Amino acid sequence: MTGEISGSLNLIGYGLSAIGGAIGVGLVFAAYINGVARQPEAQRVLQPIAFLGLALTEALAILGLVFAFVL
Amino acid sequence: MIALALPAANEEGFVAPTLDEMHLPEILPWGAEYGEGFGKQMLLILLSVALISWFFIAAARKRQLVPGRLQFLGEFSYNLVRNSIGRDIIGEKDFRPFVPLLFSLFFFILLNNLWGSIPLAQLPTTSHVGTAYALAAIVYFTWIILGIKKHGIKYFKYATVPSGVPVAILPLVVLIEIISTFLVRPITHSLRLFATMLSGHLIIMLAASGTEFLLLEAEGLLKPLGALTLVGGVGMFLFEVLIQCLQAYVFTLLTAIYIQGSVAAADH
Amino acid sequence: MNEAVILAAAEGANPLIPNIWEILVTLLGFAVLMFIVVKFVVPMFEKTYAERTEAIEGGLAKAEAAQAEASAALDEYKQQLIDARTEANRIREEARAEGAQILADLKAKAAAESARIMEQSQVTIEAERQAAVVSLRAEVGTLATELASKIVGESLADDARSARVVDRFLDELETSQNAGAVQ
Repeated sequence: MTGEISGSLNLIGYGLSAIGGAIGVGLVFAAYINGVARQPEAQRVLQPIAFLGLALTEALAILGLVFAFVL
Repeated sequence: MIALALPAANEEGFVAPTLDEMHLPEILPWGAEYGEGFGKQMLLILLSVALISWFFIAAARKRQLVPGRLQFLGEFSYNLVRNSIGRDIIGEKDFRPFVPLLFSLFFFILLNNLWGSIPLAQLPTTSHVGTAYALAAIVYFTWIILGIKKHGIKYFKYATVPSGVPVAILPLVVLIEIISTFLVRPITHSLRLFATMLSGHLIIMLAASGTEFLLLEAEGLLKPLGALTLVGGVGMFLFEVLIQCLQAYVFTLLTAIYIQGSVAAADH
Repeated sequence: MNEAVILAAAEGANPLIPNIWEILVTLLGFAVLMFIVVKFVVPMFEKTYAERTEAIEGGLAKAEAAQAEASAALDEYKQQLIDARTEANRIREEARAEGAQILADLKAKAAAESARIMEQSQVTIEAERQAAVVSLRAEVGTLATELASKIVGESLADDARSARVVDRFLDELETSQNAGAVQ
């Protein structure tokens, strides 16, 4: 086992940048679950908002992925 | 990804799976001069179309008032898309025309994701970015054309100029809205699907090849570690099945949300 | 590190660059699926739903109609029962009133009759008493005088005699009366 570790720093950078998106998605869904738990009848209203929030937040992580590949 | 594409220099050491292994040799060399030929991925796509069509036609054909097992399964699946995605998101009033699109999208993506977990197929076709781009493009053009059809050229104003924003920062907000709506949406829509499938598949490949290496080729104390990667690999496999279903759901749900956004653009 | 190998591998496998044929096959496959779904699957499912809804709602409507009919009939029966009860009450009331009327009439009639009879009998009694008084007044004087003369003519000490005298007097009286009656 004398192999050397080799690779691109891009992916480490991407791993770091994904933390932001992960926290964001966690917050979005925490708020969503809270809202639904308090007011189950609001689920229909909250669901699109939560998933739009998810899409927007995750966009950052996905853009990070793109740049990790492109740069 | 370069790391993944890089075979270790040492011939005896562990060779990690590379992205090239996602692109298996083509079955037929059609159009090979423009890229790759007709490969496993395309075969699986066509197979999925045939399977989905066969299943739902078989399930829907009998049309019994009290459904049998197959019909019940078909109706349950249809209901899931029709009611909990279509009707709940787009609204009771105008969800009907979009049910076929959502339904086709959901089951197309679901089966194409699940190919990754089905033995012998073992390749989520959506982990090839072309498929994800194509699906996202269909959705992208659908909701833009829908918005223009519904609201005329004013649709772009509805979509990008939010109400109740101070004039001072309005240009900035509009710029952000344009980018996030018309640029980021399709990119994230396609890449979310593609990236989750690719990474999930890579993880399983890594776990499988790592297990194989550790159990068969490693020496001494490293051998038992193979059991660990095996258990982890099975866990990741099950997790991947969940992710595959979830991503199909998320993709369809976001489609419904985007469609709802352009159908009811004037509301917000 | 072989730089060329890395670059070649990176270029050959950059996962973000799509394969045109994959896009085309996906579009084609999706179009076919979409066509089948639009043409067959969704209409069939929707038709099944429509039929089921029809069946269930039709059944519900029928049940509702039956319910309404039953409750209407019940109302009618209740109404009839109430009508009948009022009718019976009315009749009973009438009968009672009529009976009271008849009773009162009869009582009045009976009272009148008894009063009339009593009146009549009193008048008769009075008339007879008058006649008796008149006839007595005419006879008592003579009888008293005759009796007194006989009693005085005989000895009063002899009881037997006096009794005889009285008897004789009475016999005479009777015979004279009989003679008078015969006359």
